[in-house]
Amino acid sequence: MADSTWITLISLGVTLFFMLGTPVLLVIFYWVIGISFVIDLPLANTGNELINVFSKGFALLAMPLFILTGDLINQSGIARRLSDFAYSVLGWLRGGLAMASIAACGLFAAISGSNSATTATIGSMLHPEMVKGNYDERFSAATAAAGGTVGIIIPPSIIFIVYGFLLNLPISDLFVAGIIPGALMVLGMMTAAFIICTINGWGVLIGLSVSRMIKTGIGAWLGFFAIGLVLWGIYTGKFSPTEAAGVTVGFCVFIGLVSYPLNRIMGSASDVPVEQKSYASMLVVQGFTVPQIPSIVSRSAQISGILVPLIAVSVAMQQVMSSLGAREFIGEFVTGMGGYYAVLFTSMAIVFVTGMILESLPVTIILAPILAPIAASVGIDPIHFAVVFLVGASIGFVTPPYGLNLYVASGVTGVPYFRLLRYIVPYLIALIAVWFFVALVPETALAILPDR
Amino acid sequence: MSIIAEAVAVIPALFSGSAWEKRQAFDADGMWLFCFVYTFLGGLAAHYFYKFLPFMERHLERTISVVMYLIIAGIICWGVIDRFVFSSQWSGSTTIPPFLFMVMAWFACSYNVKLRTHLSFSEFRSKMPPSGQMATLTLDAALWFGFCWIAITTSLRFTALSADNFQLVDGVDDIMKWWFYTTIPVAFTLMSGRVIGNWLEDWNNYKSGDQIIKQAVIGGDV
Repeated sequence: MADSTWITLISLGVTLFFMLGTPVLLVIFYWVIGISFVIDLPLANTGNELINVFSKGFALLAMPLFILTGDLINQSGIARRLSDFAYSVLGWLRGGLAMASIAACGLFAAISGSNSATTATIGSMLHPEMVKGNYDERFSAATAAAGGTVGIIIPPSIIFIVYGFLLNLPISDLFVAGIIPGALMVLGMMTAAFIICTINGWGVLIGLSVSRMIKTGIGAWLGFFAIGLVLWGIYTGKFSPTEAAGVTVGFCVFIGLVSYPLNRIMGSASDVPVEQKSYASMLVVQGFTVPQIPSIVSRSAQISGILVPLIAVSVAMQQVMSSLGAREFIGEFVTGMGGYYAVLFTSMAIVFVTGMILESLPVTIILAPILAPIAASVGIDPIHFAVVFLVGASIGFVTPPYGLNLYVASGVTGVPYFRLLRYIVPYLIALIAVWFFVALVPETALAILPDR
Repeated sequence: MSIIAEAVAVIPALFSGSAWEKRQAFDADGMWLFCFVYTFLGGLAAHYFYKFLPFMERHLERTISVVMYLIIAGIICWGVIDRFVFSSQWSGSTTIPPFLFMVMAWFACSYNVKLRTHLSFSEFRSKMPPSGQMATLTLDAALWFGFCWIAITTSLRFTALSADNFQLVDGVDDIMKWWFYTTIPVAFTLMSGRVIGNWLEDWNNYKSGDQIIKQAVIGGDV
């Protein structure tokens, strides 16, 4: 049998495994192993990548640390305060709670770097309140899923770290370039939520109260401080992204431990409405104790233990695809499309379609090293292309059949996966519109880069 | 030399104390056979270890990954404080953490096998009849076992090569890379134990008519 026949059969076989529910890690791993046999690549190549991937750089370390940051700000109560603030600012508008949920995702994303952590944290916090506030539960779950997409665009971002690590681009620049597109994604999704809620008459409005805004703003000060710390450190070049992640972890641990006793002295019970809380009690958050730290870290370790092996096998897959000539094939196909815009839009189409069937990390690891050099060859700025690529990859989190955020939202809200798909469509339209805008206007990514 | 003889030759090499001898034995094709047997027997041993020591079953991988996580965060956070406050920096502060990250990730990966939280598309599987579910879970077990087998074989070779080359961690002069690499086959042996344990649990559920596939929760059992 010809090699191409074997490759087709192996690809079909692992697709069947995927449909049967085999973990994605194993699906990719066995595709790599199968193809390695066909093209006479030694198995050691794949096995060694399970170790080598860690020794390639310090940058990848930011990933587990930003995952940990997400869990720490959630457990310390900072995430709750950020969402209270977002609600007090937007709650007077139709669909205010839905918009607050998306804004809270944006704020959470500015400290953490994980889409699934953003969806899980904000979804589990605000879904019950949205259902109580007369929102359709399917729409509420879809809102959490869509909001989570900004988790990896607003810096810090795990996927920017991986992209920079693969293509030797400065991760600090990528982080800065993600700020405006991330904010546009938040605005786009908030607009979609406003329209849908206005049409359906969903949501209970709260009065616009400046004192409530000020009080919740004060309550969220630790969150704003953490956001400022990360952005200041990276933007000014004081820390590398990995160091920024380490410092943020240290900050969150310190705040969590100090806040716990302070909250017992001057804080209010968590079920007391914001209006009845004193300004002093808003200064401290719930915090946590030393014995709670291992369980917080253990959760982060679990998430890292899912994502990191996936990165390792995806790197091996990318190498095998290079050996198969995929780089040349896709390269010729994309280059054959023509100039700047043809390459840009063809790349976007490839990322979108691949994002529907693969997790965004493998999409990035496999396609970015192929598409980025082609984009650069037609004059697309590498940082701009990175942002366009990764906004597309983030949209992959909410495109069925394999939209990770949809699964996470379904898991934390209890709304079955297939039932929330219909309600993701308006958000998907908004995200795609923002994606095209970012692609057509490079300044959205490049305008605030420090060296431009 | 036959493949069986090569596999048997791995055993004395393991206890030889010479990295060169280990590397020679590990490079032979018989290493694959040896590691297949080792992955199965080591997995069984790990399974029974966990069965008779439930405390370890709940805490071993988690504790290792949590400790590694905290050390990584501590080293990096301290590295920044050291640089800004004391104007110095330990040379290993950027080179040791990636190795600790590797240890953390594979032990956490093993624990995720137990919790079945690795990402998957389980919509069709969960709607299958019990026999279909058992078949897909058996397929998973076989694939995980193969993953462990390949990882153990290649990581042992990688470790022996690193030890034979006296590879030091960059930036430090007294910490060898193979000290970290050697934890990888251990993590995969524990993973093999998890695979065997999961399959036995599934089989018992299938035979007793209990629910076989349960909703896995990331962060569950913490």
